[in-house]
Amino acid sequence: MKIASLKASLALATIFALMPLAPAFAHTGTGTSAGLLSGFMHPITGVDHLVAMVAVGLWGAQLGNPAIWILPIAFPLVMAIGGLFGVSGFDLPFTEIMIAISGIALGLAVAMNIRPPLWVAALLVSVFAVFHGYAHGRELPEAADPLAFGVGFVVATGLLHLCGIVIGVLTRWPAGAQLVRASGAAIGAIGGYFLLSAMGLVA
Amino acid sequence: MKKGTLIRAIAAALALVAAPASADAHLINTTLGDFYGGVLHPLSGPEDVVPWFALAVLASIQDSRNARWLLFVFPISLVGGALLSVVAPALSISPAWNLAVIVVTGLAVAAAAKLPFPVFVGLGTLIALLHGYHNGQAMTQDTDRLLFICGVAAVGYVFVTLITALAISFLQGGMEWRLIALRASGSWVAAVGVIMIGLQLRTSAM
Repeated sequence: MKIASLKASLALATIFALMPLAPAFAHTGTGTSAGLLSGFMHPITGVDHLVAMVAVGLWGAQLGNPAIWILPIAFPLVMAIGGLFGVSGFDLPFTEIMIAISGIALGLAVAMNIRPPLWVAALLVSVFAVFHGYAHGRELPEAADPLAFGVGFVVATGLLHLCGIVIGVLTRWPAGAQLVRASGAAIGAIGGYFLLSAMGLVA
Repeated sequence: MKKGTLIRAIAAALALVAAPASADAHLINTTLGDFYGGVLHPLSGPEDVVPWFALAVLASIQDSRNARWLLFVFPISLVGGALLSVVAPALSISPAWNLAVIVVTGLAVAAAAKLPFPVFVGLGTLIALLHGYHNGQAMTQDTDRLLFICGVAAVGYVFVTLITALAISFLQGGMEWRLIALRASGSWVAAVGVIMIGLQLRTSAM
């Protein structure tokens, strides 16, 4: 009993001793960390971006090799071109509408299990990538640390693709494939809401 | 594990954790402050870390000869760049160079390109020279230059070596998706570089 009690006390003491005492920072929202965090959160907190990015991964997984890796590798590179437009102050029209349409189109592609030739899929995704990149790029010059902001939003975009690909692994099973298609339909519906919103038809 | 061994292990852990050590708020008193300054300077922002990461991943894709030479050339070139900043502190090196090497290195990773030996080592040398120079410019008159430069070279060597080793180990699993994951990270790096070039052009134009 005594040894058990001693062991428990020692274990507890070890845990407390190992707890890091973190310093309290009065100003955390500046510089690199703020830039990285705001960039990282930009695609995640924007649901219209989020669903489209996940849909790219889902569609890639549905289409299989080589689309599963070509789409997520091509997307950031083409998105960077859209980012260039945004950073340079170029006025790209219909950005919000096109981002909403990307959700609808990619969601429907997943829901209906559409299997176009690879170049068509890559072209479609690339066109949408330009508009998503443009929206991120517009925010970049205002960021606390533009480079960190860029790293943040590119990494978040890539991780959202990865989420889609991981969910898309379910397509190996019949029930999972149905679930993935249902997810595509949900993404399309969310895209529809954002389209109506961008057109000012819903609040 | 026996009870006695467990108690001894916990006692040893406690002794280690509770070992009294002086808290040096100002590392300059330890005479190693500028070494740590050199170590931390490249890690304090993504400007150095992002291209170093891409270069190390690129090294893991190359053959072993290329990768080994990088580990030798990279820290020496960092020292060379930092020394150049001491000798010629006012060189006007366009930031576009730094951004261009980010794009090139990222694209090479995305394409899983096996570069010829001189091209790969040349790329590593160029990155290290540019970053050594940039980091060296952070030294002030009061900085112990030897310690600071040693710190920059040490962190560059450790960072590139560790990431290269991790990436090689990751690839040794043999599954195709592992190389795809590394290639995707290259496309991320290239994308960041392209966008930053745009920002640089905008800043220059204003």
